[in-house]
Amino acid sequence: MRNLLNLAALLALPVLLTAARTHETNPMSSAEDFAEGRRLYRIHCGVCHGMDGNTGRGARLARRSYRHGDSDAEMFDLIEGGVPGTDMPGVWLEEDDIWRILLFVRTFAAKAGESCVAGQGDVAAGERLFSGQGSCLACHTVGPAGGRLGPDMSFAGEMFTPDQIRRALLEPAADVADRYRTVRLVTAGGERVEGVVLNENSYRIYIMDRAENLRAFDKGKLQSLETPTESLMPAYGNLLTEAQIEHLVAYLCTLREDRREGGTE
Amino acid sequence: MRLRTPFAILASALLCAAALPAEVTLQDLLDDPRVGADWLNYHGGYAGHRHSLLDQIDRSNVESLRLEWAFQERISEKFEVTPLVHEGIMYITVPPGDVYALDAETGARLWRYSRRLPSKLIACCGLVNRGLAILGDRLFMATLDAYTIALDSKTGRLLWETQLIDYSLGYSGTHAPLVVKDMVMVGTAGGEYGIRGFIDAFDVETGERRWRFYTVPGPGEFGRETWAGDSWKTGGASIWITPSYDPELDLVYWGVGNPGPDWNGDVRLGDNLFSDSVVALEADTGTRRWHFQFTPHDVHDWDATQVMVLLDKEYRGVERKLLVTANRNGFIYLLDRQTGEFLRATQFVKQTWAVGISEDGRPIRRPGMEPSAEGIEVFPTVAGGTNWMSPAYSPDTGMLYVSCREGSSMYYKGDTEYRPGTRYWGSMFVNEPTMHNWWGAVRAFDPISADLIWEHKLFQPAWAGLLSTAGGLVFAGTSDGFFKALDSGSGEELWRINVGGTVQASPMTFEVAGRQMVAVAAGGSLFAFALP
Repeated sequence: MRNLLNLAALLALPVLLTAARTHETNPMSSAEDFAEGRRLYRIHCGVCHGMDGNTGRGARLARRSYRHGDSDAEMFDLIEGGVPGTDMPGVWLEEDDIWRILLFVRTFAAKAGESCVAGQGDVAAGERLFSGQGSCLACHTVGPAGGRLGPDMSFAGEMFTPDQIRRALLEPAADVADRYRTVRLVTAGGERVEGVVLNENSYRIYIMDRAENLRAFDKGKLQSLETPTESLMPAYGNLLTEAQIEHLVAYLCTLREDRREGGTE
Repeated sequence: MRLRTPFAILASALLCAAALPAEVTLQDLLDDPRVGADWLNYHGGYAGHRHSLLDQIDRSNVESLRLEWAFQERISEKFEVTPLVHEGIMYITVPPGDVYALDAETGARLWRYSRRLPSKLIACCGLVNRGLAILGDRLFMATLDAYTIALDSKTGRLLWETQLIDYSLGYSGTHAPLVVKDMVMVGTAGGEYGIRGFIDAFDVETGERRWRFYTVPGPGEFGRETWAGDSWKTGGASIWITPSYDPELDLVYWGVGNPGPDWNGDVRLGDNLFSDSVVALEADTGTRRWHFQFTPHDVHDWDATQVMVLLDKEYRGVERKLLVTANRNGFIYLLDRQTGEFLRATQFVKQTWAVGISEDGRPIRRPGMEPSAEGIEVFPTVAGGTNWMSPAYSPDTGMLYVSCREGSSMYYKGDTEYRPGTRYWGSMFVNEPTMHNWWGAVRAFDPISADLIWEHKLFQPAWAGLLSTAGGLVFAGTSDGFFKALDSGSGEELWRINVGGTVQASPMTFEVAGRQMVAVAAGGSLFAFALP
């Protein structure tokens, strides 16, 4: 009798404790699974990651490689177990449902990377423009080279679609990440300083100015402090031809880390 | 007596070297904080004032306040504790499930209790704990795996544990319990998981349950008709902040959390009692004497888990027993705490969901401000005009101090489906970080008229509570990592220190070896400040 009870308890366990992973790769693939995955994502994940995997306070999912691993098994374990020490909790769902969520999550990567193909533009011309006439390297990093005033473009091809890149070139102020917020201030002595905000609290503001100097100011002692809506980045519609813009898009689309290199952690 | 561990021996030796602390009596709890030196209840007293009579640190000398000691642990969760102090010993909880006794004079550790918790706990908003209750030589804690436990305050030994309910269904315990007479009271958190909320009272000696009050009424109970269909079974209405208590009326005032699912009310038509309410329970039996619902049929997640501040004051020429509370929905409410009669509600932050509050205390809703599939911007933010962080009331200035949150959120409505132990939110997402219109303020109000007396602006909305002292000070923490002292009369900033981490706790004060100290948790540390 006791053994039977134990057996009953064991059988009940999977229902209570949900998913233990029994596959290494995602067994789900049907349109129904995908629809259910999208629905579950909406309930459990969209709050932080956004429905496009690109907004919200959670990690950006619209990219081709992930910090905690890209394999199906690694992604499954992450969704199931969460990331300790962060706001990312695990989800209490059965195995099949977690696989369904992953099926939907994978579409973000596809949108971010695979569609970023070098359309009509000339990659080599784009690379020359990036470091030359466009002066992009003055503010953006690619690999070891470049400036630090703007976002790192080393993996732009994994993070953005061609449309997003095009829009950023034509309307740079349309979508500026908080980290690259511009400020314009005038000190008590009349000095005008422009830069991006590294940190700000009740009393001080810390900026990187156009010359990449790190500077701190007492907010109470400034003549003025503005956060202009325009970006420090110029709108390239006025500076480059349409064809040149496409060259840049083509070049940026090639910047990716498609395969993981070996090496030390 | 058999000594159990080397640590227990050390603890005993340390305690014997100084005078052995006397046990905490019921009278101590009733007197607190009038006796001054100790801090024996989460709020610093049953009335929820978070005000201390200690005045060694005052407006004239606070500028020389300095760090006396710090306690650090490997804490990756929010550190939300308010310590208790009794005769030179400080008791704290450290998330997710530890309790420490510290020498309050130096911060040195005396003992540690560490609860073995399941690997997969269910808590919407961090694996947090806000503190302990104390009586005799016992400490009481509500745990994340939904137990109430009692520890020996001299050794940290577990004396009893009583399960509230199966945690895997989404229940947890996060608030500091309340001791009333020979009972310890705990309510259950989990309002984002389709729980059915309740409050339990246990015998302090044995852990035996004395009574239970369901914050969502079941069949045959008052208010059942305020939940459509079977929605009461998953109605939420959690408890996650310590109640206030009036010993004379023998009533305990519980602020109750949001109904579930949070942002989709379609499956729970009706007022959804007692979500977003204050319920006044008779201490001995748990019987509801009265209730008042701030936000009937809430669809914005406006828990009423703010501190209920009990005042005896004149209202319209008559001395009344009052209850004042600044609610997450953006209004300060004044009630008669004997009868629950609604007296007044006044807006205290920008809000766009209600035209006002009617004479019977019900909100008059502005049409079209409910969450929708497309999303709707509503003030205040989903975190509310204020939240669980403590307000303070000073009998010296007669002012109520509130940490206020300004800004808006986008509120979305989505599909939902109840599955035990999983999130039951009813929303696609609530887009919080529209930080550009978010800011905060410490505001001082007349608690009766709700007139604003002064305001101290904060760069960001704070998650830190306030402490008022007889030294004419209000202590406040900020999200940009400062702990500061304000003049309680004017709001002027008199002292500040960068504590290097967000303050997400309410400060407290105590006296040890003739010196007043102020303690606050910030980041992963607890800091104690004193005059040189």
